[in-house]
Amino acid sequence: MKPARVVLVVFLTSIFAAGQNPSYRQDPQWIAPATAIAKANPLAEKPETAAGGKKLFLRNCAECHGPNGAGMEKKHSADLQLPLVQQQSDGTLFWKITNGNAPKGMPSFSRIPELQRWQLVLFLRTLKATGPDAADPAK
Amino acid sequence: MEVEYGLTAQWTTELYLETSSVWGDSTVFTGWRFENRYKPLKREHWINPVLYLEYENLNEASRIQKEIEGGGPDLISSNRELRGEHAHELETKLILSSDVHDWNISENFIATKNLSESEGMEFGYAFGVSRPIARLASGANCRFCRENFIAGIEMYGGLGSTLDGFSARGTAHYIAPVVSWAVSDNATLRLSTGFGLTDQSNPVLLRIGYSYELAAFGSRVSRLFGVKR
Repeated sequence: MKPARVVLVVFLTSIFAAGQNPSYRQDPQWIAPATAIAKANPLAEKPETAAGGKKLFLRNCAECHGPNGAGMEKKHSADLQLPLVQQQSDGTLFWKITNGNAPKGMPSFSRIPELQRWQLVLFLRTLKATGPDAADPAK
Repeated sequence: MEVEYGLTAQWTTELYLETSSVWGDSTVFTGWRFENRYKPLKREHWINPVLYLEYENLNEASRIQKEIEGGGPDLISSNRELRGEHAHELETKLILSSDVHDWNISENFIATKNLSESEGMEFGYAFGVSRPIARLASGANCRFCRENFIAGIEMYGGLGSTLDGFSARGTAHYIAPVVSWAVSDNATLRLSTGFGLTDQSNPVLLRIGYSYELAAFGSRVSRLFGVKR
């Protein structure tokens, strides 16, 4: 590889890494109630609707979580690819999107219609399955 | 023109500048409003209250009927006659909002006190329901997708004042279909045509609003002044 390309790759990688928030720690007080945790995603059998979830994610969430969901250290926003996020149930993620966590700066998105919030949950799962490429807005 | 900034996830502050253009008369600056919305509850509930406090420094040439409490503005006198009369007002609102599946239901209770004159307290209300045209978002990047449109209906009007014993006589009331369109990820266009229901109401009240959201506005301003965030 030519030196210029190596420099470019290192530079782009460092930019990408600086934008992530792998050190994200969850707020221990932000706990969904048991009824919310147990809720199943009504769109679980319609994985094709995740494409709409991606659009909603880029419109409502990407400003703080980044277009690939990796979070931003500056904004203290969650890295949604981390296992500690992905291990949470669909119902928990839905509850967190709906209620937000105002003291920590995460707003409520209850104004997004219910099924569209479930689409967001469906899309969040693709971040785990396929990594950053799934959220590449160019794709 | 209104500039709104979310200070925290619970508190939004806004500065609203007003002008009035009258066909065949003139265009004048009619004053400003400083608005604050505070959401006291940290979690979503069946009914979610928002507390609203507004200070207005307007002159009588202002024809914008943002809220209806009593009758309408003076539509006969000229801007020159009206612009010299200033009014300082304090307006409070209790905004109650519920999201039931795809429906949004909201109720506003308004109380206004004119600090310049002893007019007592004036009261008003607004009630509205709305829902998106489509329940699911499509994967396509399209401006005219059904999910980009929200349709609803609202009703607003005056509830009298402490001076007239809360009499509904002399108050204006409107019913208005509302459509809002998310033109892009950042921009929304809102259109409402209100139809007057009482003798004190204007026959038609048109409200058009265009809002544009600037991403990371706070960070941009901080960078402008060299402040690290």
